Amino acid sequence: MTLTIATSLDDILAGLAQGARPIAGGTDLVVGSRQGKGSLPDTLIAIDRVAELNTIDVGADATRIGSGVTHARLMTDTTVVEQFTSIADASALVGSPATRNVGTLGGNVMNGSPAMDTGAPLVVLGAKAELASTSGTRTIGLDELWTGPGQTSANEDELCVALVIPNRPTASGSAYVRLEYRRAMEIAIVGAAASVEFDGDAIGAVNVALTAVAPTILEVTGLNGIVGSALDDATLAQVAEIASEQAAPISDLRASDKYRRHTIGVMARRAVDAAARRAAGEQIAVPVNRALGVGAVQ
Amino acid sequence: MAVTDMPEFIRADGPDKVTGTGRYTADMTLTGQLVAKFKYAEVTHAIITKLDVEAARAIPGVFAVLTAADVPDIRFTYGIADRTLFATDRVRFEGEIVAAVAAISDDVAQQALDAIVFEYDELPPIVDLEAAIADGAALVHPDVDSYVVTGDTPHSGNVATHSSIAMGNAEEAMSNAATVVTSRYVADASHATPIEPRAVVAQWEGERVTVYTSTQVPFDARNLVCEALELPANRVRIIAPHLGGGFGGKCGGHFEPHIAALARAAKRPVKLVFSRWEEFIAPDRRREGMIIDITTGVDADGKIVARTGNILLDNGAYLADSAFFPQAAAMHVAGPYVIPNVFIDSRLVYTNHQPSGSVRAPTAPQGCWAVESHTDEIAAAIGMDPLDFRRKNIVTTGSVGAVGQTYDEIGLDQCLELAAESAGWGNDLPDDEALGISVGWWPSFHSPAGAYAKMHGDGSIQVITGASECGTGSVMTLRMLAADELGVDQTDIELVYQDTGAAPAGPGSSGSMTLFNHGRAVERAARQIADQIKELAATELEANAADIVLADGKASVAGTPTVSVPIVELAGSSPDGEILGSATTEDIEWPEIKGSTCLGDQGFSSWMAPQFSCHVVRVKVDKDTGVSRVLEVHAAHDSGTIINPIAAHGQIEGGVTMGIGQALTEGTQYDDAGRQRNAGLLEYKLQTIADAPKITTQFVEIYTPNAGPRGAKGLAEAPNVATCGAVNNAISAAIGKRIYQLPMTAERVWAAMNDISLEEA
Repeated sequence: MTLTIATSLDDILAGLAQGARPIAGGTDLVVGSRQGKGSLPDTLIAIDRVAELNTIDVGADATRIGSGVTHARLMTDTTVVEQFTSIADASALVGSPATRNVGTLGGNVMNGSPAMDTGAPLVVLGAKAELASTSGTRTIGLDELWTGPGQTSANEDELCVALVIPNRPTASGSAYVRLEYRRAMEIAIVGAAASVEFDGDAIGAVNVALTAVAPTILEVTGLNGIVGSALDDATLAQVAEIASEQAAPISDLRASDKYRRHTIGVMARRAVDAAARRAAGEQIAVPVNRALGVGAVQ
Repeated sequence: MAVTDMPEFIRADGPDKVTGTGRYTADMTLTGQLVAKFKYAEVTHAIITKLDVEAARAIPGVFAVLTAADVPDIRFTYGIADRTLFATDRVRFEGEIVAAVAAISDDVAQQALDAIVFEYDELPPIVDLEAAIADGAALVHPDVDSYVVTGDTPHSGNVATHSSIAMGNAEEAMSNAATVVTSRYVADASHATPIEPRAVVAQWEGERVTVYTSTQVPFDARNLVCEALELPANRVRIIAPHLGGGFGGKCGGHFEPHIAALARAAKRPVKLVFSRWEEFIAPDRRREGMIIDITTGVDADGKIVARTGNILLDNGAYLADSAFFPQAAAMHVAGPYVIPNVFIDSRLVYTNHQPSGSVRAPTAPQGCWAVESHTDEIAAAIGMDPLDFRRKNIVTTGSVGAVGQTYDEIGLDQCLELAAESAGWGNDLPDDEALGISVGWWPSFHSPAGAYAKMHGDGSIQVITGASECGTGSVMTLRMLAADELGVDQTDIELVYQDTGAAPAGPGSSGSMTLFNHGRAVERAARQIADQIKELAATELEANAADIVLADGKASVAGTPTVSVPIVELAGSSPDGEILGSATTEDIEWPEIKGSTCLGDQGFSSWMAPQFSCHVVRVKVDKDTGVSRVLEVHAAHDSGTIINPIAAHGQIEGGVTMGIGQALTEGTQYDDAGRQRNAGLLEYKLQTIADAPKITTQFVEIYTPNAGPRGAKGLAEAPNVATCGAVNNAISAAIGKRIYQLPMTAERVWAAMNDISLEEA
């Protein structure tokens, strides 16, 4: 096995064109290999030292978060915490401090697990993935990117270089909550992200996406009915019901399908509630799970 | 020096462990060392039809491949000798070792495993406890009647051992009771889960073998090597480097004989390091699953008048050290209560699961969880506060307990009051929070143990002990005792431990016995040196030896501290060049105490220096999801005299946290064939430091005669006993429904709240 340490994006893309596989934090690749999920690729190219992948650039219309930005940075970065709070919520729940210090946004997204924590927040924030190769760069929607559990539509020679997220309107907020059996070293059993925008006192727009209840991150549809409503218990109950209905959970070691279907509704309701409160100006610290005790008890 | 004057604990192994310079077994590398790997059955119940290792042996770089055919044909294990090193005609659990290889590298060892031809006819797995003891059930050990049986081990069919407690007339008393409550509790199996997976390195020099291994009890490991490989004790040396936790799971011998046999065959040192999966499936120290039926009758005043119990324990495929489990479980179902009429039947059942064995207070957390949950059910049935009900029924000084033992001075009643007061019992709490209470108990164990002590000519001191330091700090405490006897600073003493070639035998780190037994031996060995120092000082100071006091590194005449001589000078003046001490605990006599076990007595019918505890926990339940979190634990323990408060608090905090894990998240899940489905740390969920609650600990210090040094009882296991029961009582109080299965996972709590039945695998 060979490991090359890339110093520029061109290095990486040239390496990928020749069949190398990228490695950043290695928290999925190396751990998976040790657990026997598959041997490490013969040729690895380390991408963690390439500065271009480690920036957060706020543009006029959108913010571009480099794929190499770590979870530890996402959970504390001022722009992310203030504008794209649900990503910070999610990043703060990933694994352990050690995982968060080396695990990256790009790694989380490209690993393609339906249990990825940053996936649902990216979906509700309308993020797109920027993929680069020696033949050029393309930007695609996440629904187009994720094709199944652990599968993406990216070509072997393409690297996700950034996630591009539209800048947020005023009176908006987002949140991510997750069911947790314990408060660290946990993986999503179910989770939900929500983005809420107010139009006066009424809900102007709402987006909800669900973690670990379908082969890929699931964007909830049919929420138009609550646009224009006040954010009250009846509205939140409707969110829970719609989320539970649309989930396609499995039964496994972590939970039965029945329990997942119920708790995904709870998570969706709590995510919308927290997002709405943030949209209304309430300061809820990152992550919501700890600040409000949702998902797991405080 | 009084115990309360003990200097603050300085942990000798602390810097090594904190800075990372400490070495564990897996860190060792010997010249020419080979890699060991095991071929596991993976199937849980089958008759072997073919086992051919010739192709594996032929692979270049493979130095040895062993099967049952290559080692002495010996069955071992106390109780029922049902074990062999390697599978013979059949396999009985997924982690059973079929063959072992030693090879030049990890890859080559894996190739060798893959080249082993292992064919079998599968048999229906025996995994259901009740079906296993039904008439006509297929047997896990069809030849069990031909095995050697030791001790009071009544066995029949799939019942490996059977124990009963009988006192008074339970049937009649029950029929006269004002209120009768019946409950069934089911506890899932769980694991000790030390963070260090097992490792073993063996090296032969001529006819002698040294085995470096992560065992908690080096002398048991030595005895197993000797027995299984037919070697005399003086040719087997076991050295345990630093241990990365044990929690009972590393008690006894495990894979030392396999690796010693491989090293002999390969003519090279051989090293085994377990993966986490192996650490889950292969050892014979799983915490047993249990089914517990309890019925209790109370009179109109709320006094318990009768209890009956029926307990089934899942032994798994082989006896490890589990022969006493039925009796221990029966003691817990009886509980630390005054009950005049008792009948409890307890059976250890063979299944095709991994063998069960000692994990921190074996059988106790489950038994206590069941009986303490049941106790709250009784209190509810008669409309009495759970604290008041316990006040009325627990054992106190002088009372005769449910197991027939009369107690001398004990402090359970004080534990109950202290924990309840600390927690604010009776105070209002938010709707989603509640307190739960549980009492618990656990014996202290006497075991032979020895110690040597040496004061060298330069005044430096070595204490050589058969004790093992698995992280509790109890071995580190031993030098406090020696320092106190000798009037020197504890840092002047170096410990030699975890080496059977250097120390006299002892129970190592098992059964909360380190301080209790090794402590007394160390104290007595040090005292022998102190006596010799006093003789030397008496000559030097022209005084009577009986008047010499050793303190602050000096020998002085009592009442005249200015007349003194440094101990270091006296050591140098010894005509032998050094001063030796050697002591054991074997000649200590114990008063006879009686119990009411009438069948299968494995030494648990009455409890020496019993430890008592009360835990009151405050739990918050997320009622939408069933996720429960323990916010506070108020623990009060009677463990006799506390010699090392820092280590004692550490034991309570660790034991409580381990108990919360077993209460909420730690349970082994099996497939239909009896294979573990969550044999990894992602799916077998330990508590993390982020989950740890605020733990408030109080000790009821009662000097206990016939106990350990200076009136100390054991302490390492007791904190793990009462937590699960208290958590259930708190959850039940918060949600108004009771949980009957352990662990009380979020999903099970949610299901109970909503009357949903879960179809679990």
